[in-house]
Amino acid sequence: MSNPAPDFLVLEHIRKEFGSFVALKDVSLAVRPGELLCFLGPSGCGKTTLLRIIAGLEVQSAGRIVQAGRDISLLPPMKRDYGIVFQSYALFPNLSVADNVAYGLVNRRVARAKREARVAELLALVGMPDSGPKFPAQLSGGQQQRVAIARALATSPGLMLLDEPLSALDARVRVRLRGEIRGLQQRLGITTILVTHDQEEALSMADRIVVMNHGAIDQIGSPSEVYRNPATPFVADFVGKTNLLPAERADATGIVVGGQRFQCEMDAGLAGSARLRAFFRPEDVRVRGVNGATPNSAAATVEKVEFLGAYSRLTVRVDGIAQPLFADLSVNDLEDFRVKPGDALRVAVPAERIRVFEAPAA
Amino acid sequence: MSAARDPAYSSVAPGQPQLFGRVYQPRLGVHWSDRIAHAILVAAGVALAIFLLAPMAMILAKSAQDRAGEFVGLANFAEYFRTPALARSIWNSVWVSALVTAITIPLAFTFAYGLTRSCMRHKALLRNIALVPILAPSLLAAISFIFWFGNQGLLKPLMGETQIYGAPGIVVSLVFATFPHALMILVTALSLTDARLYEAADALGTRAARKFWTITIPGAKYGLISAAMVVFTYSLSDFGIPKVIGGNFNMLATDIFKLVIGQQDFAKGAVVAIILLVPVAVTYVVDGWVHKRQSALLSARSVPYVPRPSRGYDRTMAAYCWLTGLAMLAVLGMAAYASFVKLWPYNFSLSLDHYRMGIVEAGIFEAYVNSVTMAVWCASLGAVFIFLTAYLLEKTRGLDAWRPFVRLLAVLPMGVPGMVLGLGYIFFFVQEANPLHALYGSMAILVICTTVHYYTSSHLTAVTALKQIDDEFEAVSASLRVAFWRTFFRVTVPVCLPAFLEISRYLFVNAMTTVSAVMFLYSPKTVVASVAIVNLDEAGDIGAAAAMATLIVATSALVCGVYFILQVWLDRRTQAWRQS
Repeated sequence: MSNPAPDFLVLEHIRKEFGSFVALKDVSLAVRPGELLCFLGPSGCGKTTLLRIIAGLEVQSAGRIVQAGRDISLLPPMKRDYGIVFQSYALFPNLSVADNVAYGLVNRRVARAKREARVAELLALVGMPDSGPKFPAQLSGGQQQRVAIARALATSPGLMLLDEPLSALDARVRVRLRGEIRGLQQRLGITTILVTHDQEEALSMADRIVVMNHGAIDQIGSPSEVYRNPATPFVADFVGKTNLLPAERADATGIVVGGQRFQCEMDAGLAGSARLRAFFRPEDVRVRGVNGATPNSAAATVEKVEFLGAYSRLTVRVDGIAQPLFADLSVNDLEDFRVKPGDALRVAVPAERIRVFEAPAA
Repeated sequence: MSAARDPAYSSVAPGQPQLFGRVYQPRLGVHWSDRIAHAILVAAGVALAIFLLAPMAMILAKSAQDRAGEFVGLANFAEYFRTPALARSIWNSVWVSALVTAITIPLAFTFAYGLTRSCMRHKALLRNIALVPILAPSLLAAISFIFWFGNQGLLKPLMGETQIYGAPGIVVSLVFATFPHALMILVTALSLTDARLYEAADALGTRAARKFWTITIPGAKYGLISAAMVVFTYSLSDFGIPKVIGGNFNMLATDIFKLVIGQQDFAKGAVVAIILLVPVAVTYVVDGWVHKRQSALLSARSVPYVPRPSRGYDRTMAAYCWLTGLAMLAVLGMAAYASFVKLWPYNFSLSLDHYRMGIVEAGIFEAYVNSVTMAVWCASLGAVFIFLTAYLLEKTRGLDAWRPFVRLLAVLPMGVPGMVLGLGYIFFFVQEANPLHALYGSMAILVICTTVHYYTSSHLTAVTALKQIDDEFEAVSASLRVAFWRTFFRVTVPVCLPAFLEISRYLFVNAMTTVSAVMFLYSPKTVVASVAIVNLDEAGDIGAAAAMATLIVATSALVCGVYFILQVWLDRRTQAWRQS
């Protein structure tokens, strides 16, 4: 090829319809070699459909897929090059763990000794060196998921597809496996796509996150970009906890929320819109050391103090704003700064922490 | 190896290619291994079309032809309804079937209630006793009732002036024969109810009668409808019972036989077949609707009901169930006993005469051998065909336009009475121009017809088992580039083996006991045991008929035992990976 693209997998204008329902509208994206890309979105956003299209388990209604320079748009799954892990693990119940892992090796005329060595290597890789003779039903959910990963890796595919791999596991195992999968992926340098509806999972594992909503991509970016600079109100609301308030434009550097002016940074593109929405994170709301002279501050009343472990979340009412605001306070802060429901205090939001979006048409 | 240049897998340009204003849906290339799956699926569909659709179409055609084969429209129907003796059979069939339904359903419901909602002992034993009639050809009940209440019956004095021959005998025999079918459906329906509903009712202080009418009956409603449909259809289409004990009482199924075999009036036989098809088709549609409703009631999270001991109530239920069970054993036992009685009613000493002289020396032991041969073929090849087709339908991809057609053909046989199917087969295969004419009179046609006759239940058993397997197995295999048959043999078949054995057992037992479908299709060389019973009874040799019926029951029971042992062995062998 004269102009080699650095991207490993390229999706161009993928569209998918089921009857009259449009599951994906014109999705384009590129996956870089060796990265872990995460499709994040609520159920029904099209993320799983997109993954199944990449796997050849669904056919796109229009669009093109290129993997490693090869057009795979219409290749049947058996002609594509990927390993896949499903939420249900899909381990063959009647085969031992070793036979499951060796499943893709058997018909590739790999010598038995070599095959057994490869199985042992893979089981060691996923941290289950002695489980070969066991059956899937004798393993815990987390162990089954590791076997499924080993099976998918056995044939050394160029691309790894993980479809909600951790959703069926309980919380503790999920957190541990996140780190393990990510570590394994980085060690092997295998290009990976992970589908999830769990924003924490996406933030902690991904190199880049594709946030999807209603069959379209809202934002593609690194976890911190998506968290810190959400491109749309949907992303702001879906990723992390947020305060999203109706606002009006005051001037080029400020907005009015509930009759109060707040200083903020605003995109030039919003100059024409009067009705806006302001967004800021609960952890960006300051309650300590705030007085009448603090810029961007307002008087408020504490409504509720919710203990959440490492931090506590205050629900406060600001005069003139109908909607309650959330403010997060670390445990230590809370101990120094004792508040209880009914207390009056002042809250402030730094100007650079407020993002402004156009309000949706009513 | 660049598949990008492979013309079979050319790509779609971005944007939406349009054809005649409609968005063109691209299709994936098909891997050669999938083409094999498609080829088998096409062949299976074609086979079902030949052995189900074509014969049914022939019945339609024949009903509109005169004896010379000229098209006469509805003239045959008009003539049929002008013949009072024939038209009366419709009414006979309907009221007898309705009466049987009205008797069987409450009896079976109470029995099922005892099994599921009481703490009586020996439930498994009682259940198995109640299911015994399934192992026998339906006409065994008719033979037994003749020995109990017939002209020379043991309890004839109790009958007074009433004759067992005719409607009374038909009704009681059908109740016996349909009881286990209703029982199985009702037991399932009663086990489905969520225990939490009763807990909620108890918490509200609801009285027992109110709980019964507001929770139990609504919960079992679809089961009741379904069971009623099955009993009604069974009664309407059964041939053996009215043939043996019906006397001069005519019903639709016996009319078809008389018209076709006795009078060689194929056109009118076809007319009766279509008339018989109508109510059966109606119940079939209703039943399909009910099943859809019922599966919606099922929730994975419902809690099974566990009955609590209650002395008086448990004893009452036990008394009822034992009484019913003993009555069933009395019917079954009478046929067995009579088969050993030297000369009814004059010499009650026991001997093997009916077996030795009536069957072996009379040269009809061959019929028994034929039955077993046929049952073995159905249970092996038939079961494999059904399971493989169900697998290809459920688990492979592509061929989207063809699949619904094959699915339809798989569930259609349940709506076709055996007599009608058999009649369609003669019409279709008797024609010498038919390239498949060679099948006529062969063992193969009996095997095929019986497999098709009992296709639907077997198919549904296979589909249920296949649906329980993770849907992603095939996707995982494809991603590992393993052809579908490898996964089929290495995973699907081992996992579904219990269901396959169940299908195989079901086909074996039904092939042993069926009368209706094969009644038209046997040749002198392929007489089967159940047909031999009809012929023996017609010749007045009812002792030998009882002996043959007993042989069938014994064989079915033995084979069920073998399958049971096989299942236990399999469970043990596969326990390591089946535990949840």
